[in-house]
Amino acid sequence: MAEKLAITVCDATLRDGSHAYSHQITLDQIRAYAAAAEGAGFDYLEVGHGNGLGASSLQVGLSKETEGEMLKAARGCLKKTRLSVHVMPGYATIQREIVGAIEAGVDLFRVGAHCTEADVTQRHIGHVRAAGKEAWGILMMTHMVEAEVLLEEAKKMQSYGAQGIVLMDSAGASLPDQVRAKVGLLAERLDVPVGYHAHENLGLGVANALAALDAGARILDGSSRGFGAGAGNVKLELVAAVLHRLGYPSGVDLYKALDASELAAKLFAGSLPESSPVSIISGLAGVFSGFAKPVNRVSKQLGIDPRDLFIELGRRKVVGGQEDLILEAAQELARKKSPATQERP
Amino acid sequence: MTASKKLGVAILGTGNIGTDLLIKILRSPHLECRLFAGRNLGSPGMMKASQLGVAVSARGIDAVLEAAGEVSLVFDATSAMDHLKHAPRLEKKGIVAVDLTPAKVGRMCVPAVNLNDCLGLPNVNMVTCGGQAAIPLAFAIQKANPKVRYIETVSSIASRSAGPATRLNLDEYLGTTEAGLGLFSSCPDTKAIINLNPAQPCVHMQTTLLARVEDPDLDATRARVAEMVALIRGYVPGYQLILEPMLENGRLATMVRVDGLGDYLPKYAGNLDIINCAAIAYAEAVANRRGN
Amino acid sequence: MNKAALDLVREDAAAVLNGRVPSLEALKGAQFSLTGGTGFLGTWLLELIARLNEEHGFGIRVWSLSRGAKAFALKWPHLASQPWLRLVEGDIRYLAELPRETQYLVHAAALTDRRICASNPSLVGEVNTVGAMRVLRAANLLEDLRKAVFLSSGLAVGRQAWELQAIDENHSGPVRCDRAESVYAESKRMAEVLAQCAISEWKAPLVTLRPFAFVGPYQSLELPWAVTDFMRDSLRGGPIRIMGDGATVRSILYAADFAYAVLAVLANGKSLATYHVGSDEAVDLLSLARLIAGHFTPMPEIRTGLGQAGHERTRLVPSIQRLRNELGFAPRFTVAAALERSLEWHRMMERG
Repeated sequence: MAEKLAITVCDATLRDGSHAYSHQITLDQIRAYAAAAEGAGFDYLEVGHGNGLGASSLQVGLSKETEGEMLKAARGCLKKTRLSVHVMPGYATIQREIVGAIEAGVDLFRVGAHCTEADVTQRHIGHVRAAGKEAWGILMMTHMVEAEVLLEEAKKMQSYGAQGIVLMDSAGASLPDQVRAKVGLLAERLDVPVGYHAHENLGLGVANALAALDAGARILDGSSRGFGAGAGNVKLELVAAVLHRLGYPSGVDLYKALDASELAAKLFAGSLPESSPVSIISGLAGVFSGFAKPVNRVSKQLGIDPRDLFIELGRRKVVGGQEDLILEAAQELARKKSPATQERP
Repeated sequence: MTASKKLGVAILGTGNIGTDLLIKILRSPHLECRLFAGRNLGSPGMMKASQLGVAVSARGIDAVLEAAGEVSLVFDATSAMDHLKHAPRLEKKGIVAVDLTPAKVGRMCVPAVNLNDCLGLPNVNMVTCGGQAAIPLAFAIQKANPKVRYIETVSSIASRSAGPATRLNLDEYLGTTEAGLGLFSSCPDTKAIINLNPAQPCVHMQTTLLARVEDPDLDATRARVAEMVALIRGYVPGYQLILEPMLENGRLATMVRVDGLGDYLPKYAGNLDIINCAAIAYAEAVANRRGN
Repeated sequence: MNKAALDLVREDAAAVLNGRVPSLEALKGAQFSLTGGTGFLGTWLLELIARLNEEHGFGIRVWSLSRGAKAFALKWPHLASQPWLRLVEGDIRYLAELPRETQYLVHAAALTDRRICASNPSLVGEVNTVGAMRVLRAANLLEDLRKAVFLSSGLAVGRQAWELQAIDENHSGPVRCDRAESVYAESKRMAEVLAQCAISEWKAPLVTLRPFAFVGPYQSLELPWAVTDFMRDSLRGGPIRIMGDGATVRSILYAADFAYAVLAVLANGKSLATYHVGSDEAVDLLSLARLIAGHFTPMPEIRTGLGQAGHERTRLVPSIQRLRNELGFAPRFTVAAALERSLEWHRMMERG
């Protein structure tokens, strides 16, 4: 049997977890967890607001701490593990955020776009590369299109200078066969390494990560205890265990990865994601997992079933970042439910 | 009003925006398109203009300058780089420039908010699509609430309505929209966000305004916003309030949808339509002022 | 057209639709736009749509742009007079926009005539590439475009090696770019790439169809293809003249089958996909000549080896497996049946 290639492990706990914590992660929590991630030997630790740089907003939720402070706190705890951030053009701009993040010592910029919109990342990837930093391309909500479309978009990012491509199952809606087909096509046709970012809405996180590995992925994302949007990410401690079991080389120290997960459980107790009727429907509806908190909150205020709201949002094919549509869709559902409220005095 | 009393205008740039402007001008009781100028006589826009019997030229800005006697105002739908070159030449000839590019040479003009202040200026800039949709709402909210601490706008547009230049220049779009929001709402802390949605059939443009307001007066806000929406509908017929101002989780939120008129551009491209409608509203006001 | 000839066309249009109408449900009430809609294929598409509208209440409306709209109206009033059809005269190179309400688009406009390719190859290059570019640009402004079919050509994928039984969609054979005669294949190839660009840039819901060789009513016998040559020569009493030894291999699909394939792809084809459409029943030229000659008494003489010695044998046969697997397409007319119906129609037309 051919020797297995090393797998790059990316820890999304302090970025995707921001969604699960209503963006209230503190600097102390960042410092404590970053030290554990460093100890566990994860290749990258991603830090910041759930939607990445510049996303602290009324739209998605305001961060407790400023971007600069969060990055500084993490930077101080990392030596071997490299610091990464998520970047969504349309939220983050080069001048307003990326320049500052480069100064703050970020190693890797993971520049993301909805899976059909890769061309909006051209200037951001270009800027990061010109500044001598590493840039990857991230395709989000990849359950929405076929493998051929993902390849086309990934090739665009590769041509802009992306040094890795990660497919995100942002809605937790993908099945292992789909993952295999999509990652497989990209792994076969791209020059740069391909990665996968799994969510747990349908309980398929490990299965999908495994399918991605099988199909040739060389990068895997995960979060300790799954701390992430919606039903959470694939659990990083399980990714570490599976890689260990399959004999993939990686820089991860299994025991310390397990310790990091214990720390995450303690740090974020009460906010760890779990499967729920709403997160399952969210996955089936194919809606961005980060919508979970605002959907629950708005549904409660307007007295509607959050599952109906997710289904309505899925019908409208909303993409990551369109949190404002939650309000409008919810109000429409509420209006339909009780026609009386239509009349305003 | 007889045809001869109409204001003579020209369109510079024969792409989709320029061609859509042409259809709107042909319908205007106050404007007459005397020249449609660009670079390529074979472009679809040029062919459309020829079919409609409008004078065309492939000599771009030079043709417009030569028509100075007949043309008092020009819509520049080329590019920011080109407009920077066009602006001084147009001003020297006394031709009013309505700038639809992000060049930001002249004052930002949002007809529902500052139309009268802009009349008489040599050059006005039409901000951005998100700016045309959101700035009036921010202005209305600020009128109803003295303590607006922070304003944010989020626009969603159909992927297909965002051409290559828009996609490459999202950062500039966000910067210009934020500057416009700050300028018109006197709120120093602003943020703009844009999402491209590829759904088929194409989504219509939607713009949300979110604000952090101390002691919000919801009734006054609703009244001001309703007035403002009515005012905008006077020149952007497809502008509609789809979420009345509401308070949720400590934020004031309101949302509009902009359906395009579907003149040359598709109806879903409300983002492109609103900026063209605003430009026409400004030009018509110039025409009326000169007519009087 | 006389009644007998018209009946034949209608029977065959009905025959390819028989039992398949439910699969075309998506096209009900739709607005079609056709470019090159008065050509051989376009006419057959209209015949099938006429059946769907008249017998199955489909209510399809068609806007058809072509250079031959006026001539078409004079020649085929039974179609031109249909209230659901709007014929527009125009040159695809100067297309400014498509009807706003277009839901299904078929781009068939192209210069395919081998004689024009020989005498004015640069015009062929211009019409086939600029035309495609214009159509794609106009399509980008359509709000409710559900699917567009771009007709390419089996020749776009380059030469088929003699040893290769059939060529599938992934075939890529040589095309010589150092000679003018390549212009047809090259222009179709460029048009295909432009279509792929539209898919990449704005996710155009586009399907590429690569047609091979056809026969059927409405086909002009003036065209210098083997099958039209043989039919024309036979109708004039022969002889059928074959330059080489008659071993060259082709396959020929009946026009009604082709038109049905286009409708099936519009209704159910996978966006972004490319399909070969033709017959996979290979036939060498000598057999083809015999099949045709057999319909005449006395049988016209078949002469072979009329050209220079060493006349090159070529083979052009598509694999239509993808169309078969994904859309369940299979030709309903064999080559023999296709030739029989075609000859019958031409005879009826000659009788007037």
